[in-house]
Amino acid sequence: MASIDITDVRKAYGSTKILHGVDLTIQDGEFVVLVGPSGCGKSTLLRMIAGLEDISSGEIRIGGRVVNDLDPKDRDIAMVFQSYALYPHMTVADNMSYSLRLRKTAKEKIAAAISGAATKLSLTPLMERRPKALSGGQRQRVAMGRAIVRSPKAFLFDEPLSNLDARLREHMRGEIKKLHQDLGATSIYVTHDQIEAMTLADRIVAMNAGLVQQVGSPLDLYDRPANLFVAGFMGSPAMNMFEGTYRNANGGTVELAQGVVVPLAGPAPTADGTKVTLGIRPEHVLVGKTGLEGIQALISLVEPTGFGTILHASAFGEDVKAFSLERGVAVRGDTVSVSFPVDRIHLFDTATGSRIG
Amino acid sequence: MTEAVSAPYGRDRRPFLRRLANASEPYLYSAPALILIVTVMLVPLVIGISYAFRDMTLLDPFSGGFIGLDHFRAIAKDKTFWLALKNTVYWTGYSVGLQFAFGLILALLLDKPFYGRGLAQALCFLPWAVPSFLSGLNWAWMFNPVVGPIPHWLYGMGLMSAPDNILSDPDLAMWGPIIANVWWGIPFFAITLLAALQSIPRDLYEAAAIDGATPFQRFRSITLPFLAPTIAITVMLRTIWIANFADLIVVMTNGGPADKTQIVASYIFTQAFRRLDFGYASAIALVLLMLLMIYSLLIVFLRQTLLKER
Ligand SMILES: Nc1ncnc2c1ncn2[C@@H]1O[C@H](COP(=O)(O)OP(=O)(O)OP(=O)(O)O)[C@@H](O)[C@H]1O
Ligand SMILES: [Mg+2]
Repeated sequence: MASIDITDVRKAYGSTKILHGVDLTIQDGEFVVLVGPSGCGKSTLLRMIAGLEDISSGEIRIGGRVVNDLDPKDRDIAMVFQSYALYPHMTVADNMSYSLRLRKTAKEKIAAAISGAATKLSLTPLMERRPKALSGGQRQRVAMGRAIVRSPKAFLFDEPLSNLDARLREHMRGEIKKLHQDLGATSIYVTHDQIEAMTLADRIVAMNAGLVQQVGSPLDLYDRPANLFVAGFMGSPAMNMFEGTYRNANGGTVELAQGVVVPLAGPAPTADGTKVTLGIRPEHVLVGKTGLEGIQALISLVEPTGFGTILHASAFGEDVKAFSLERGVAVRGDTVSVSFPVDRIHLFDTATGSRIG
Repeated sequence: MTEAVSAPYGRDRRPFLRRLANASEPYLYSAPALILIVTVMLVPLVIGISYAFRDMTLLDPFSGGFIGLDHFRAIAKDKTFWLALKNTVYWTGYSVGLQFAFGLILALLLDKPFYGRGLAQALCFLPWAVPSFLSGLNWAWMFNPVVGPIPHWLYGMGLMSAPDNILSDPDLAMWGPIIANVWWGIPFFAITLLAALQSIPRDLYEAAAIDGATPFQRFRSITLPFLAPTIAITVMLRTIWIANFADLIVVMTNGGPADKTQIVASYIFTQAFRRLDFGYASAIALVLLMLLMIYSLLIVFLRQTLLKER
């Protein structure tokens, strides 16, 4: 086990720049999740840590040792691929023992290691099968088994669950979390599923367009997104965002379209007249009967999810989403009043996208 | 389908003609194709085989009679045939072995991305497009010290005591056609092996690299198992094809000197078109056919057992 230090790492394919300087320190035993939209460079970063891609500039250290010029085999890491990359001509047992056999580990030790891993992952009855005779979930477990048998310094996962159906994904998510609690190994996990990110991570690294946007605990990112990108990326249904102008008067307000004024908790550290974006998560939007204090809105769409209800309300020319655990709050065509609790409002500078306050 | 289901429990009560029509229906549908295949493939084969048991000499108007196994008795005593058989093994073994080895190396080189790969691929596959007679003539000239450079190079490197034509040296003559054949046949292996190589998922190599495999270990535990079926089938096809392939030998040495480069296929050619003894040539061809069939069956059998072991 080891810590991983990434210092100003850049990647370019010819003249196309993919990563524009990534700095990141991963503690020993930490579970870090890289999230971001497709094509933002998550896999590229992970593959550079694994040694499968050259590092254009910058430095990667594993356990304090610079690995820039080390072959993957000398970095002592294990990787679980999205496609699993199981050796199709080998049995499950051979797949799992391959790395140990290459290292000329003693036979008894190999047998002990793979039977231990097989028990952990409930693969024992499948050890003599070939990958093509396994289900997707079983293959995924074999890929995990192959990674854990040799107790590497770090585990790298590149969207290991994205080929599974939702139910199995949920199950395997739990398994991975348990496995990490058992082994306590440093892990880097790439996904674009934010539920996976939220549930698994000790820390989340949100990336966009080759840049790290925010690093922090899952709830940090959820509760205090550093910029518009993170605010919009984390959470489903996504955060409501309305453009407006900041006013210093009356203890700080935001002027939205059609003259709607939303009060803030207090004056924000920005100049009067700044273009700002007001963000509020759907579950924090309060929907009430008309006549109460709030903004007049017309319910345009009701989406029951079973777990709760997503209400779409038209107000001041925008679509305001609200999420409620209760059913039957409103039906389509109702006129309601929506309000934004002051302590739940996020304020961003529209021009720079970064959080204010 | 209720009729079919009830059939096993009682006598089929349908009229006989109707049952016949139903039973023969699939055969009638496939009859046109079957008849075509039989006439095109089997009829000439049977006629050719029948020559082996007849006295067929083109210039002898009284020939054509049935002579039983006489030709085969003659073959058993024919020293040239036995020499040709030995030469065939030599010729086929070295040609296939070297074509395969170089073809595999070429395929592995072309599988890695590099600048100008497209052009290199096209150039490497060029020999395959050269007609075999032309490449035979070309190589015969290259080995000829009067017009070709090769003897002078070999002499210059000290590999030969004088710049002679290896095609006229009884000990070395076979290497002339073998080299021409290797040059000409490498692209076949390179193309088929390259296609197989490119179908191997890249992430397997990456997984193996992370698991700690050196490039050679990756080759052994991933590339070879993936290529094995292609190797088996191409080597088998090429062996049969090269054992039957007399063009280069006929053009370059015509079997000489002193039958040292005579292979069974070129011997058949000589018997049929120089001596015009079609009966004897057919008998030799039949022997060759039998030997190659035994060889293919062995390979297929071997492959089955290997596959079962997996
Ligand atoms: N060999 C290459 N040459 C040029 N560009 C490449 C190459 N490989 C990847 N890229 C580019 O690098 C960018 C980042 O790719 P990467 O695979 O890291 O994305 P990702 O964040 O993992 O996305 P996803 O979530 O879809 O897997 C993409 O825009 C991709 O087009
Ligand atoms: Mg990716």
